[in-house]
Amino acid sequence: MRKRNLLGGLLLLALPWQAGAELNVQVAARVVSFLQPPPNGAVQAAIVFQPGNAVSEADATSIERAIGGGVAAGRASIRTRRVPISSLGTLGNYRAAFVTAGLRDEQPGIAAAAARGSVVTITSDQACVQAARCVVGISSTPRVQITVSRAAARAANVRFGSAFLMLVKEI
Amino acid sequence: MAAAQTVDYSALAELMGEPVTTSVIGKPQRASELPASAVIITREQIARSPARDIPGLLQTYSGIDVNRWTAGQSDVAVRGGVQTYNARLLVLVDGRQVYLDHYGMTNWNLLGVALEDIQQIELIRGPASALFGFNAASGVVNIITRRSSDKASLTASAELGGHDYSRVAGALQLPISEQIGVKLSAGRLREDERAIRAPLLAPEMVPDVQSDHVAGSVTGRFDQTEVTLDGGYAENRQAEYLPSQYISNQHYRIGHASAGLKHDTDWGGLSFGAYANWLRADYGLSEAAPTRDVDNTAATKFANRIIVAQGSALIRLDGNNTLRVGAEYRNNRLRSPAQFSQTVSYDVGSANLMADLHPAEAITVTLAGRLDRLSLSQSGVIVQPAFDAPSAFDRDLTRFSFNAATVIRMGETGQLRLNGGRGYQLPPLADFGLRIPIQTPSPVPVFIAGRPETRPVPVWSAEVGYNRAIGEVRLETTAFWTRTEDAIATPGDGLQLDLVLTPAPLLVSRIRAVGSYTTYGAEAAVSGRYGPLSWRANYRYTHTDQTLPPITAPAPFALSPKSTTPRHKANLELGYDAGRWYATAIGRYTSSTRQFAFTTAPQLLLTPVNEAVALDARAGFKVHPGLELFAAGENLTLAGGAAVSPIPADRRVRGGLRVSL
Repeated sequence: MRKRNLLGGLLLLALPWQAGAELNVQVAARVVSFLQPPPNGAVQAAIVFQPGNAVSEADATSIERAIGGGVAAGRASIRTRRVPISSLGTLGNYRAAFVTAGLRDEQPGIAAAAARGSVVTITSDQACVQAARCVVGISSTPRVQITVSRAAARAANVRFGSAFLMLVKEI
Repeated sequence: MAAAQTVDYSALAELMGEPVTTSVIGKPQRASELPASAVIITREQIARSPARDIPGLLQTYSGIDVNRWTAGQSDVAVRGGVQTYNARLLVLVDGRQVYLDHYGMTNWNLLGVALEDIQQIELIRGPASALFGFNAASGVVNIITRRSSDKASLTASAELGGHDYSRVAGALQLPISEQIGVKLSAGRLREDERAIRAPLLAPEMVPDVQSDHVAGSVTGRFDQTEVTLDGGYAENRQAEYLPSQYISNQHYRIGHASAGLKHDTDWGGLSFGAYANWLRADYGLSEAAPTRDVDNTAATKFANRIIVAQGSALIRLDGNNTLRVGAEYRNNRLRSPAQFSQTVSYDVGSANLMADLHPAEAITVTLAGRLDRLSLSQSGVIVQPAFDAPSAFDRDLTRFSFNAATVIRMGETGQLRLNGGRGYQLPPLADFGLRIPIQTPSPVPVFIAGRPETRPVPVWSAEVGYNRAIGEVRLETTAFWTRTEDAIATPGDGLQLDLVLTPAPLLVSRIRAVGSYTTYGAEAAVSGRYGPLSWRANYRYTHTDQTLPPITAPAPFALSPKSTTPRHKANLELGYDAGRWYATAIGRYTSSTRQFAFTTAPQLLLTPVNEAVALDARAGFKVHPGLELFAAGENLTLAGGAAVSPIPADRRVRGGLRVSL
């Protein structure tokens, strides 16, 4: 039992590193403010997670904690709500979706739902962006690096301002 | 403000975790990825600095020499070439030139911008003519004011200090609707001149420094388009050392009007703008009897008007490669009774191209070129006796400027940079047509005069730099080389005279190209933060070789960068932020120099200026989130050489309040 707990703990530590570190929510919220047209007022963002997936749930909790009662992003104020993988059909109700780590197998479904609902998907998992399944990837260490998938953005009909795109890496 | 998404420096800096600039190649770039050596001073740094003006802020960064010739007159030089009325640094406020073309100088008390309204100050070291054209010969300072916001805000300061110092300045932002915002700013400064003691020549009266400005802008953002209308007026009176190093009192008034349009597209952005600056400058104010008021009736008057229209397109070729295409037209006109004819003017047509390419993951190559074609002319009544044929002013000049850079990323946070270029310093309008009689014992009349044949001064530059961040510590090192050819100088003492028969004999001493000089050296800067403590240190070594006229008395020209540029400069800044209160202290070391000045004899001499360790400090306490009380002092150690001027520096202490609502 103790051995299993230790293994689970190690897995919890290792998986986020493999899938990308914790999402920098402050940067993610600011990314939303560079959407065209810019969001205004209260903006609901989905936290896409998988119940029972320890890595995903931990990331979701971390995002919720960072957002708190809401984060200002330009003229918008971003609030979050958890959306389990099983409810991706509701993703179209959101302007943005923070895709938690540990959802590699679910990414095709998330991408399809985001494309249907014109939702910008933001993640710390660079592989999701490399595979054109997430629109924006954010890494924070040693410094902020933002990657935008042109194909994923086009599929989700998401547009950013040109000044923003000139500062990020577009793939 | 709604929709349009042009460059919002504040939002982009918050996003990327570091300042963002467009001043190097015209596209937004992170400070840590620039293909040139640059300084970006943020709004937060300005608010906590002991400095009370832009030269004071710039002087604590490596590679930048600031000479505070008088209490009001400062010159900023990049990597050597120190001289009064420095014509080698282009200074812009939101892209509009505030560099004054009549004499090729920047009057830092006439910028028409309040420190409280500044978002960030960007200084690019080295020639940047390929983007900005003539006069960005040794560098560019671009002052970015705050972008209009959808929230009403007021930032203002009121200060009082020794030497009859007083300053009130502020900026008010008022959103009119979702799309339209108005910004108003104003400022008023008064302070006494420093004591000018014999044997230095001093004007018969030395008035206090006065500087006032008002400015306003209206910005509208509609969908993906931003439109800005801007206007302002500024006035300044101060004692100054002229390029000849003769000291006199000047009065400046300048107005401007500008309009700009930026449009964001899926492939990049379009930018169009036009502006006009109107300058009236009175040189040689005297004291009116019996009122003892400052009198300009005997002053030499100049009226300079510049009109600029420019457009550019920034095109994203693919994910990471960018192309910028631009064109510009400018008309520059100087009217004065103290020149060849009533009006001397030129038109410049320019085209520029910049490519920012990423041939490999870790490599960035930037190439920029600009072609300027200038047509010089004169018109109106020719002042007699004339020393030049009118046809000498009918000249066309074509010059090509370029910048090239390769940046190689080394690891996650290291960056090696190789860059260089050639820029041009355009002769100021006065250098073409100036014509001033001077008093000498000679029975034959003597004039100081410009030369219509004067050519733009080429400035070559090469540098290699390495930047690296290690945790919270950032290291920047650069080795640089700069060569200035055909350097222009104004006659000083021991005049080199040409005999002109008009038919009566006259003696004329010309403003002319007198030689060349080369500057090389190294800069190192390190900065970091540990909890509430921030720190920053830098050092620069500069060596100058020159082939210029002799500097032994009588010196015919007041130009000797080897003598006037400090060989060593070092700065150390420590800051502590405890939330409600903060403190900033800066130590500045400048090695000894010699600076030109006329003595009471009158004779032009190189005056020794001692090495100096100056201490500046500022402490503030927030009695309310929007109200701060502060005290600040410059040169607390009373180091005479801290101003790097023949006139010794004094200590200036002030206190005041700052409101941010």
